[in-house]
Amino acid sequence: MKEKTRRINRLWSVVMFFVSVLYMYPIFMVLMNSLKVESAISTSTAFELPTAETFAGFANYENAINAQGFLSSFFYTAFITITSVLAILFFCSMFAWYITRVETKVTKALYLLCAFSMVVPFQMVMFTLSSMADTLNLDTPWVLWVIYLGFGAGLAVFMFCGFMRSVPVDIEEASMIDGSSPLQTYFHIVIPLLRPTMVSVAILEAMWIWNDYLLPTLILDINKYRTISMLIQFFRGSYGRVEMGPMMACIMLAILPIIIVYLVGQKHIIKGVVAGAVKG
Amino acid sequence: MAEVSLRHIEKVYPNTEKKKKGEKKSNLKVTEEGVLAVQDFNLDIKDREFVVLVGPSGCGKSTTLRMVAGLEEITRGELYIDGKLMNDAAPKDRDIAMVFQSYALYPHMTVRGNMEYPLKLKKMPKEEMNQRVEQAAEILGITQYLDRKPKALSGGQRQRVAIGRAIVREPKVLLMDEPLSNLDAKLRNQMRAEIIKLRERIDTTFIYVTHDQTEAMTLGDRIVIMKDGVIQQVGTPQEVFDHPANLFVAGFIGVPQMNFYDAELIRDGSGSYTVQVENVHIVPSEEKQARLRQNGVESQSITLGVRPEHITLLGEGENMLHGAVEVTEMMGSAVHLHVNFGGRDTIIIAQTMSLEGRNPVHFGGGNPISFTFGGNVIHMFSKKDERNLEA
Ligand SMILES: Nc1ncnc2c1ncn2[C@@H]1O[C@H](COP(=O)(O)OP(=O)(O)OP(=O)(O)O)[C@@H](O)[C@H]1O
Ligand SMILES: [Mg+2]
Repeated sequence: MKEKTRRINRLWSVVMFFVSVLYMYPIFMVLMNSLKVESAISTSTAFELPTAETFAGFANYENAINAQGFLSSFFYTAFITITSVLAILFFCSMFAWYITRVETKVTKALYLLCAFSMVVPFQMVMFTLSSMADTLNLDTPWVLWVIYLGFGAGLAVFMFCGFMRSVPVDIEEASMIDGSSPLQTYFHIVIPLLRPTMVSVAILEAMWIWNDYLLPTLILDINKYRTISMLIQFFRGSYGRVEMGPMMACIMLAILPIIIVYLVGQKHIIKGVVAGAVKG
Repeated sequence: MAEVSLRHIEKVYPNTEKKKKGEKKSNLKVTEEGVLAVQDFNLDIKDREFVVLVGPSGCGKSTTLRMVAGLEEITRGELYIDGKLMNDAAPKDRDIAMVFQSYALYPHMTVRGNMEYPLKLKKMPKEEMNQRVEQAAEILGITQYLDRKPKALSGGQRQRVAIGRAIVREPKVLLMDEPLSNLDAKLRNQMRAEIIKLRERIDTTFIYVTHDQTEAMTLGDRIVIMKDGVIQQVGTPQEVFDHPANLFVAGFIGVPQMNFYDAELIRDGSGSYTVQVENVHIVPSEEKQARLRQNGVESQSITLGVRPEHITLLGEGENMLHGAVEVTEMMGSAVHLHVNFGGRDTIIIAQTMSLEGRNPVHFGGGNPISFTFGGNVIHMFSKKDERNLEA
């Protein structure tokens, strides 16, 4: 019996190893090519490892960083991501707390609305959204978080509600009896309880917002503000030739922060899952 | 410390779910408004008194307690704490503390953090706060755990922390909702003793909820027995044990349960009463006779109640009830005999030891047995409304 499960586990490991190789390969290719000289990147040579002749060191990275607008793009992307994630965490957790603890028809409807918003494809609303964003002057990086809050709310509320339901209401009642106002209960008790979920939500939303291409392209003024994913597009832009090397380097630089965020947050996600599963 | 008065308190839960009606789990009264979880609850609790609310599951104990705490709205009636009307006061303005069945500790704070939390909210100076926390920890024997998180504590230790958090504030009223029911039997007994000790050391009015009659009897100055949202009896443990107000209380208080028999109460011309069970006649004690006379009780069919420990075992003889032993449970100091008497189970407690030494009790299954009981230990309940005829 034990022998059998062990064998099955080993088989799974092998399968998963190949799956992860499949996932990792594109990233590896980008990394590989970002270290090659321009002439060595073509359809036929893309799969080759850099050799002594084609190895370019970090030249492509220097080019990418020195390229027009890279640093400001990086800053805009970071600013949009951070403000949006903070807004989503704060508003959605408070909202989810309220609608799980106060059960009326209205709160139930609001919950369903949030769940429903997750299944509406972005393409369906994007044109009306961009014209509305124009009218409301939401077309700058400084206030883009308002729009991301709207699109991120569905998933965040869904996740927060799911966790909130598993938290016994006793703890909040105890805090009310101990003398807190509802707001104090929220800040002193609810937020710390929600922390593992907050980390999960933050990672998911950050990955999406950081990498998002379509929404900022549609809403931001392309000539004034470019996020990283928009900038990458411009490496192959209007000059007639594609600067493959710097583009690959730029892609690597673009995904680096989000990978770091994920690796740092990852253990909190795992901890959160375990803490929820074990009582007390 | 404070007096707490509940006047005609009622709680109605709106009848939102239709399914609940169909289930018909409890016998709660259902009106147009909804389910009456607590009906016309009247109780005056004295300063420093320890009152226990006891009753079977779903009888409205927690609901009553939560109304006192301010966690549940009071549908009708008035709640006074220390003479002030508190119906609409927020929990934090009532100067009460509560210990929950689930402990409800703040998992992200240390034990010290948990106990400090109510004091911090009161903006108490650091010095005094430390002193109070350490004093409470001392009383409860949790000083060495002050810097641990709740998840690193055992159930009993968590319970102590929960009590500690409640007493540091020196609240006027301390509410406890089944605080011991998550503990194992041994720890429960130990904590029960500690609650008794605790109560000597702090000046607070206690309201304690439990479904365990032993806890109620051992802890309470007064016991409030509830069923289906209605108070059945209020009294000291001795009172409710000796003079149960009705059949329900008689059956609920005391382990093993009181035995019940169908019987006839006969009043003769001179106004003296006899109880007839099967063909055996029992004459109630003078005291009981007088009370029956005072109430003007007529001859009628009754339910006769006798506690297992009040039944006397005898050899063959006149005026005896006869049954057959079905099961014997050896308890050490006593044997519980389950006797089949007229198709019903009667429990009799027989002591294994007496002054003369080991009692010669060998009760195998199926053995015939004869027993009787005195006129001073019987309880007589009306068949009609199940009330104690002496009350
Ligand atoms: N929110 C609610 N909505 C509707 N009915 C409720 C609600 N809360 C409790 N009740 C009903 O009120 C009755 C009393 O509940 P309560 O919790 O006070 O019982 P209890 O005596 O504490 O029982 P237990 O010993 O199981 O804790 C129950 O029949 C329950 O079904
Ligand atoms: Mg209860």
